[in-house]
Amino acid sequence: MSNEIQLWPFAVYTLSVFLIVAIMVILSHFLGQRHKEKETGEAYESGIMTTGTARLRISPQFYVIAMFFLIFDLEAVFIITWAIAFKEVGWVGYLGILVFIGILLVVLLYEWRIGALDYAVSGKKIVKKFKQLNKEVI
Amino acid sequence: MTATDFFSLMPLIIIATAAVIVMILIAVKRNHSVVAGVSLAAFALAFLSLFRITAVTPHTLPPLLIIDNYALFYMGLIFAASFAVTLLSYNYLKSYNFNLEEYYILLLLAALGASTLAISQHFVSIFLGLEILSVSLYALIAYVRTWERNLEAGLKYLILAAQSSAFLLFGMALVYASLGSMNINDMAQLLSGANLGPLALIGFALMIVGIGFKLAVVPFHLWTPDVYHGAPAPVTAFIATVSKGGVFALLLRFFVAIDIYNYESLVIAFSVIAIASMIFGNVLALLQNNVKRILAYSSIAHLGYLLVAFLSGNNLSVDAATLYLTAYAITIMGAFSIVSLLSGKEQESDKLEDYRGLFWRRPVLSAVFTAMMFSLAGIPLTAGFIGKYFILSAGVHSAKWLLVIVLVLTSVIGLFYYLRIVVAMYSAPTDDMPSQPGISRSVSFSGVLVLAGLTILLVWFGVFPQGFISLIQNMVSSLQDVYLSMIV
Repeated sequence: MSNEIQLWPFAVYTLSVFLIVAIMVILSHFLGQRHKEKETGEAYESGIMTTGTARLRISPQFYVIAMFFLIFDLEAVFIITWAIAFKEVGWVGYLGILVFIGILLVVLLYEWRIGALDYAVSGKKIVKKFKQLNKEVI
Repeated sequence: MTATDFFSLMPLIIIATAAVIVMILIAVKRNHSVVAGVSLAAFALAFLSLFRITAVTPHTLPPLLIIDNYALFYMGLIFAASFAVTLLSYNYLKSYNFNLEEYYILLLLAALGASTLAISQHFVSIFLGLEILSVSLYALIAYVRTWERNLEAGLKYLILAAQSSAFLLFGMALVYASLGSMNINDMAQLLSGANLGPLALIGFALMIVGIGFKLAVVPFHLWTPDVYHGAPAPVTAFIATVSKGGVFALLLRFFVAIDIYNYESLVIAFSVIAIASMIFGNVLALLQNNVKRILAYSSIAHLGYLLVAFLSGNNLSVDAATLYLTAYAITIMGAFSIVSLLSGKEQESDKLEDYRGLFWRRPVLSAVFTAMMFSLAGIPLTAGFIGKYFILSAGVHSAKWLLVIVLVLTSVIGLFYYLRIVVAMYSAPTDDMPSQPGISRSVSFSGVLVLAGLTILLVWFGVFPQGFISLIQNMVSSLQDVYLSMIV
């Protein structure tokens, strides 16, 4: 087997990567300077003081949009793959992609109807609720 | 694709179309009854279409799918079980006031995935079917998300099932790397008694991990009690019947095709799994005080029994395994129907105390539940007895004495905890026990329908098994004939 790829250079390479990293970490551990001042533990040692926590609550709408992006982005992958092989797959492929796009349309309809596409609370609904409450007060 | 191709895929097309139709219906107007009705109709239609397809079997759609009588039988089991689950779910979900309709989309898709497994003969379609099944199950298990337990069960299943899929996929990749084919038939021919290389062996081992997880056999069973306990009772019934049935159909097809019996190491691995499942399942069930958890551990044990039939490796084994799976599906569906029918809105009646003295309040329900427990224990005149009888005769036929002895001994242990539930039901009620709201609720028409159907099947199967046996032999023996002829 002459065309078999030689594996030992890869092994040497991998080994040397680990070796170099280990040497760098160990050497800097022993040779490097260390200091422990008042500000050392701060997130930005020489910057602005931090305020508040970084763990913000993000509206779930962002995640929904991210998911839609995934779904509809992946659609594009399938449709483009079909388009490349348009002549080869023929009518069966055409039928398949029709069904695929049809299902996607139904999904879009469904998402629209259950309100998943509303980016924020609808203003009309707020006004409606407000008027309703006003009436109740009066 | 020819017309015959489409015709033979009819049941899958019906189920898939129904899922899309349900989605349109939800978009137009939410109506629980309509959606449940459409799902029921789809399952019934898909089931009936199977009878028409027998005319064209066996039909191959190379390279991914094969539709033979064996697949038709398992699809029939899947659709019938899904039909029963849909009826139960309608009744069960009615009292909740959040979005119920999506549940049926998920149920349809899960059934679609399970039936894809039954007709797969290629790694790609196997993985596709498995993923459709498990992704739907993730959401189904966590559907009643107001309970804490429910979310816990959903999360556990999500993490563990995803991990097991990774194992399965890596195993498939290794098998492909060493054999150069992902088609089961090609693999059977490539192997045909040759020694497994180390790569293929590791690949098969990883695949056994993935499949073992879905079947919940020891040592891949850790999710079972929590998921059975936390999931809504109809979904638990679905996991126990449809999900496991589909995966077991795949297991049988795959390992019978590659003729696992030639490979000592794989047989030993499966034997260890079977023995461990029988022992651990039955012994751990003794320690439980919750009916759903008892049934979970008992399901581990029953899958161990099924593996005995599978391992016996003679001309009886596929018949016996299918027979047992059918009997088990009828029984466990009946048991979970009663749990779900007795459950109230706030919580499920799943503690053993909830069933204490049940006979004095709900005599008919407890009589049916008793019959189900007897069938699980394998007492004569029930379906479970016939199934166990066939497994034993398959095991004895191949002289798998260790497996057979463990089966008999652990069945005796099993008898104890099944009878514990029965004894609890017939003991005299005490006044100071907390009353479960669900216990006194009247059973709806759909619940009566499911229970009556399952009880009749259970007893009929147990008393006049001949019809069932010959049906199963006609349907599934095709699997062995095809593959055995190919190997010889």
